[in-house]
Amino acid sequence: MKRRWIILVGWLLGTVLHGEAQTNAHEGLVQKYCMDCHSGKDPDGDMDLSGTLIDWQSPETVSRWETVHHMLETQEMPPDDEPQPTAEERQAMLDWLGNELTEHGKIGGTVPRRLNREEYENTIRDLFHDPDFAVSNAFPADDSAHGFDNVGEGLVLSPPLLAQYLELATQIADDILPPDSGPAVAKPQEYAMEPDGFTEDTGAGAAFSKDRFRLASSLNMANSAAWPARFEAAQSGVYRLSITATPFQTDKMFYQKRQESLQLEVYARRSAEQVYDVFDKLRALASFEVDPEQALPQTFTCEVTLFKGEIFGLRWADGPAYSDGQVRAYSRTFLAERLTKNRRFYAAMLKLKGGRRGITQSEYYEEMNALIAGDDLDLKDSQLDALPQYWGGGLSDAPHNWIKAYVLEEMHRHGPALDVLSAEIEGPLSLVEDDESRARKARAALFLGDRPAEVADRDFVETVLRRFLSSAFRRPIDDDTLQEYVNLAMQGSERLEDGLHLAVRRALVSPQFLYRSLRPGVLDTSDLAARLSYFLTSSPPEESSSLEEVSAEVLERESLRLLQGERSVNFVRSFTGQWLGTRMLKDIMPDPRLLQFYDQDRRAMIAETELFFTEMLEENHPLVNFIDPDFSYRNANLNKIYGGDLQGSEMQRVALERGGKHGGVLGLASVMMATANGVDTQPILRGVWLLENVLGSPTPPPPADIPAIAPDTSGARSMREQLNAHRADVSCARCHNRIDPLGMALENFDPVGRWRDHYPVYTKPEDGAKRLKEEFYANKGPATRRGPAIDATGQLPDGTRLESVIDLKRYLVENMDLFTTCLTEKLLVFATGRPLSFGDRRVVEQIVHQLDPDQHGLRDLIVALVKSESFRTK
Amino acid sequence: MKTNINTTRDRRAFLKGLGVSLTLPMLESLGAASPAAAPKRLVVVGTYLGFHQSDFFPHQVGRDYGLSPVLEPLAGFRDEMSIFSGLDHRGRNGHEGWKAWMTGNGARSVSMDQLVADAVGDQTRFASLQLTCGRPPSGARLSHTREGVALPMIGRPSVLYQTLFRSGSDKARIDYLLNSNASVLDGVLDEAKSLRRRVSASDKRKMDEYLASVRDVEKKLQKQRAWLNRPTPKVDYTLPEFDPVAPDLSLECESIMYDLMALALTTDSTRVLTFLVPGWSQVFDINGRKLSAGYHGLSHHGNDPDKVAEYNLVGKEHVKRLSRFLDHLKAHRDADGQPLLNSTSVLFGSGMGDSNTHDNSNLPTLLAGGGWRHGSHHQIDREAGTRLLGDLYLTLMQRMGVKVDSFAGAKHNLNEALL
Repeated sequence: MKRRWIILVGWLLGTVLHGEAQTNAHEGLVQKYCMDCHSGKDPDGDMDLSGTLIDWQSPETVSRWETVHHMLETQEMPPDDEPQPTAEERQAMLDWLGNELTEHGKIGGTVPRRLNREEYENTIRDLFHDPDFAVSNAFPADDSAHGFDNVGEGLVLSPPLLAQYLELATQIADDILPPDSGPAVAKPQEYAMEPDGFTEDTGAGAAFSKDRFRLASSLNMANSAAWPARFEAAQSGVYRLSITATPFQTDKMFYQKRQESLQLEVYARRSAEQVYDVFDKLRALASFEVDPEQALPQTFTCEVTLFKGEIFGLRWADGPAYSDGQVRAYSRTFLAERLTKNRRFYAAMLKLKGGRRGITQSEYYEEMNALIAGDDLDLKDSQLDALPQYWGGGLSDAPHNWIKAYVLEEMHRHGPALDVLSAEIEGPLSLVEDDESRARKARAALFLGDRPAEVADRDFVETVLRRFLSSAFRRPIDDDTLQEYVNLAMQGSERLEDGLHLAVRRALVSPQFLYRSLRPGVLDTSDLAARLSYFLTSSPPEESSSLEEVSAEVLERESLRLLQGERSVNFVRSFTGQWLGTRMLKDIMPDPRLLQFYDQDRRAMIAETELFFTEMLEENHPLVNFIDPDFSYRNANLNKIYGGDLQGSEMQRVALERGGKHGGVLGLASVMMATANGVDTQPILRGVWLLENVLGSPTPPPPADIPAIAPDTSGARSMREQLNAHRADVSCARCHNRIDPLGMALENFDPVGRWRDHYPVYTKPEDGAKRLKEEFYANKGPATRRGPAIDATGQLPDGTRLESVIDLKRYLVENMDLFTTCLTEKLLVFATGRPLSFGDRRVVEQIVHQLDPDQHGLRDLIVALVKSESFRTK
Repeated sequence: MKTNINTTRDRRAFLKGLGVSLTLPMLESLGAASPAAAPKRLVVVGTYLGFHQSDFFPHQVGRDYGLSPVLEPLAGFRDEMSIFSGLDHRGRNGHEGWKAWMTGNGARSVSMDQLVADAVGDQTRFASLQLTCGRPPSGARLSHTREGVALPMIGRPSVLYQTLFRSGSDKARIDYLLNSNASVLDGVLDEAKSLRRRVSASDKRKMDEYLASVRDVEKKLQKQRAWLNRPTPKVDYTLPEFDPVAPDLSLECESIMYDLMALALTTDSTRVLTFLVPGWSQVFDINGRKLSAGYHGLSHHGNDPDKVAEYNLVGKEHVKRLSRFLDHLKAHRDADGQPLLNSTSVLFGSGMGDSNTHDNSNLPTLLAGGGWRHGSHHQIDREAGTRLLGDLYLTLMQRMGVKVDSFAGAKHNLNEALL
C-alpha cells in the first residue's frame, strides 16, 4: 500500500487534529474508507485524517478537509483498487463536509500584501509625480504564490529587501528635498585636445591618421565620429568650444568633388562610457560650414551648453553615406546607388558577403577590390538584377553593413571626409540648470504645494504631510499618526526640508505604505478603492477617486472607469503574463536547429496575446471566444509561426475561421512556447498547464522521486509510447489519465506553436549549436528532418474521444462552465491576493451561474467579481 | 589652469601614493574572528573577452612547464601560482556564459564570492566590492546575491576612491542619515506593533516578518555606524583629474582599479573583491602602435595568426597589470608580518573559453597567492567528465570558512592539487 503516492500536497503537514469530534456516522465512513492509508506514522500523501477532534479554527485543517471534499466529489478517492463507498455513503460524507466547510471555510482571509515591484514603482511614480521612476536591476524579483506575484503569502519581506526600501526612501527624499549644498560656483578649466585625444571605437581602426581624426559620414556614433576620451563636463554650464578642421578630398574619390560646404555638427553625448549612440537621438549643439576649397585649417568657435557628465561629439553630417531617418531607408538608397552603378562591385559584394570571421574594414576593402579586379565573378547571376533584401540578424550579416565597411574605408583612404585637427574647450563660463534639476524642482513644488506667506512652519508641514500621508497610506490619515509625523519633521531640523525628508523616509518604509489589506473584516471605502485600483491598474487609487460608498453601483461604475483608463494595460500585461505564461518567454530560447528566432518574434507573440485579451476586454465579446474566436492580432514576424503573408512589424487584426487549429488561448504561439522548453514539447507539462489554467482542475504535484520523462529526440520511441509506459503504473495513471490526453491533443503545436504533422528529428547534435548558429545566420535553415507522424488522439476520463486540438476546443465550448470557472478563480486570486477558500469557491459558482458564456464577456465577469462578497472581504 | 590632456600620464606618479599606503598599519577588524585564524582574502578577476587558449595554457603539465607567451609577465610568480586547464561548468556557450562564471549556472543562483562575503563580510567595512572599468557589457555580471540578483559594479575610479576613503562632508551626511534612519526604524516598529494588535493570527505572522526585518536592518545600521565612527584609512594616492571610462582608455582604468584594489586590501576595507575587466571594440594603442582592429574584432580572430598575435598583445597587457597587483600584495606585510599575498587568493581567468567561437569549455583559470601549494600547471582531464570549475571554487570557499560541500553540481574540491 505504501508504495502509492496519493500525493495530497506537501503543504498539508500531518498535524494532529483537535477540536470538535467528528460526528459519528461520517466518522465511521472516514474510518472505513480513508484511514487505512491516511493515518499512522507515514500517511499517504502526508495526509493524516486520524484523530478524534477537528480544529475548524485552523486554516490548515479547513484546507485539508477541502481537499478531502474535492477528492470525494471528483471520485478520485478512494482509489480504484480500494473498497468504494456506495453512492449514498459518498453523498453523506459530502453533505457533512460541505456543511462544515461552508461554516468554517469563510470567505476572505487575505494576509497583508506587500506592494510588489511593479506596484511599488507605480505607487512611487504617482506619489512623487515622477513617471520615470524605476528601481534598479539589483532590486529583487517577487515570488509568486498560487500563480501570481501579488498574493500576500508569496510577498515575503526579507531584511535585504527592507534595507533596499530604506535606501530607496533616502534616494527619493533626496530627489525632491535635496540637502543644502550651498550656492553653486562655476570652476572653469581649459582642455586642449589633439587628434589622438579622441576616442576611436570603429572596430576597424581607420579613423585616426597621424595628425588628424578623419570623419567619414555615418549614422552610428561608433563609426567614424569623434568624441573626447579625457574630457567630461564637470558642472552643468556654458562651455566655449573651438574646433579646427579641414576637408579631405582627393582625385581617387568615388564621388564627385564637392562644391558645397561640408557640415560639421556638434552633439552632446550623455557620457564617455557609452559606445553606441545614434546621432538623431542626441542633442544638437552647433553646426559649422567647412569650406570645401580651403585646404588650410579652419577654426570654428561657439558656446555650447553641456550638462554635468556630458561630453561633446563631432560628425560630418551631410556626406554621401548619410541620410536622416530610418537606418533601413538609408541602407536602401545607399545600396541602390552603389550597387546598380557597378555590376562588378555588386557581384563581388555578394561573393564576399560579410567576409571571413574577424575580417577588418581595411582587409574587407582590399579583398573586395581584388575580387572586382579579378575574373572570378559571375556577372550573369540573376541576383544582380535586383537589390538585396534588407534583413536583420547579426550586425555583420546584413548587406548594408558589408557595403558600409567598404565605403567607410574608401572614404578614409581617398575621401571625401572631414579632418579634425584639434579642439579646445573651456568652461563652464557660467552655470546652467540642467533638465534633470529643473524636473526635480517641479516635482518638489508639486510635493510641497503653495505656501501662503502667513502660514507658520508647523501648519505648513502639517498640510504637506496630511496630503502626502493620506496618499501614501491610501486612506485619510488619522490625527494621532499625523501628529507623530509632524513632530518628527519639526524636531531638531534646522531646515524645513530636512524635517520633511525624514518624514518621507519614514513613510516609505512604514507598514501602512508597504502593505495593503491590513485591516480585518469587510473592506471600507479606502481599502476597497485600493484593492480595485491595484487589481485593474497595478497602481494606487487616484486621489480624486476614492469611493464615496460601498455599493454595487459605485463599484461597477468605478471598475468600468478604470478598465477604460490607460493604466488598464498594466492589468492586461500582468494578468496575461502570469495566467498565460507570456512572462516566461524571455527565458526560453528556441533551438536554432528548429528555426531562426529573434527577439522581435518573441515580442510579436506577446503582443498577439495582449491584444487578443485587450479586445476581449474592451469589446466584451462573449466568453466563448477565449476558446474559439474569429480573430487574432498578428504581424509579419508571426508568419513564421502561423504561415500567411502579412507585411510589416505593425500588429494587425486578422479574421480567423472558427473551429480551426489556431485561435483562442489553446492555439496561441506564446502559450505553446511557454509550455514547452524551446527544444521539445512535453505533453505532460502542457496537460498540467491546461488543467491548471483552462479547466481549473489542477493536479497535485508529482512525487519527488519520479524522474521526468526525457523526450527521445532521436525519434526512436514516440512520445505516446513513453507516456503509455508511464501510465501502466496504476498510481501514475490516477492523474495521468487526465493529464496526458490534454497534453497529447496539443502535440501538433511545436515548441514555438507552429502546426506540425510530424515530429522533427534533429540532424545535428545540440553540442554543435555554435556552428549551427553561424549556419542559420547564413540562412541555411533548420537542421531537422521529418520524423514519425504525430498522433494527437486521446480519450478524456469522461469518455470523450479527441482527434486533435479542434475536438478539445469543441469539448471546452460545450462545457464552457469549466473554463469560465477557471478564469473567474484566476481573476479572483489575482484581485484579492489570496488562495480561494471553500466559501470563495461558492461565490465563484454563483458568478459563473449568472453568466451566459455565449452572451456575457470578460467585462461582465470582472464587474460581477468586483461586486461579489469575496472581492469586498479582506 | 591649463591641462594638456593628451600628455601621456606618468603612471609612476599614481603609484607613489601606493608606496606610502603600504606603510600603513593594518587596521584591526571589528569583531574579528578568533586571533588564531588569520584573515583570508579572495580576489576574483574575470577578463570579458577571454584569452587565446593555446597561448594562455602552458603546453607542458606539472612543475616544469614553459610559461605561455601571454602569461610571461607572471614569470616572477611561478612559485606563487597554479594554472588549471580543463575546468569549466559544462554550461551554455556564448557571452551569456558570464552569468554562470561565478555561479556555476545561468539560472537565479548565488555566486561563490557572495557565499564567501556572507562568511567573512561582517569583519570589514565592506562585505565585498564589485568593480569594473567604465560601463560593463550588459550580460557581464560576476557577483550574484542569494536571490540570484546581479550586483552592480563600480566602474569609475573616483567613485571607488570616494567609497573607500570618503571625505569629511560625506561622512557627516552619512552619519546623519544612519542616525536618523535608526529613528525612522524605531518609529515604524511602533506603527507595526500597534497594527499587529488589531490583526488576525495569520496576519500576525506577516507582521512578525516585518518586525523581524526591521530589527535585522537596525542591527545592520548599528554596525555601519560603528564603522563610520572609525576613521577611514588615510592614503596618499593621486587619482587622475578625469575618470578614464572611455572604452579606449580601459587599460589605464584597469591599472588604477588594481591600485585601488590593493589599497582596499592593505587597509582591510574589504576581504572580498570581484573585478570584471571589460572589452568593447575599442582600438588599443599598445607599445606606441595602434592595433589593426578593435578588441572585440580581434577576439573573433578566425585563427588568423596576425589577429591572434594582436589579441594576445591585449591579453598580455591584462596579465601585466595583474602581475603588478600581485607585486603590491607581495610587498605589503599583514598583521603577522607575512606578505599580504600569502593570505589573498587571487583567481584570474575568464568566463569565455574560446572567444572566437564563443565556446565556454576549458576556461582560462589561474590561481595566485593565498598560501597554497603552488608551482604547477594542472591539466584536468575534461573528457573524464568528473571535475568542474566548481571544484576549485569549493576549495577556495572552504578555505575562507564557508561551510559548503557542493556547488552548482560540483561535489569534490581540488584540495589534492593545492594543499
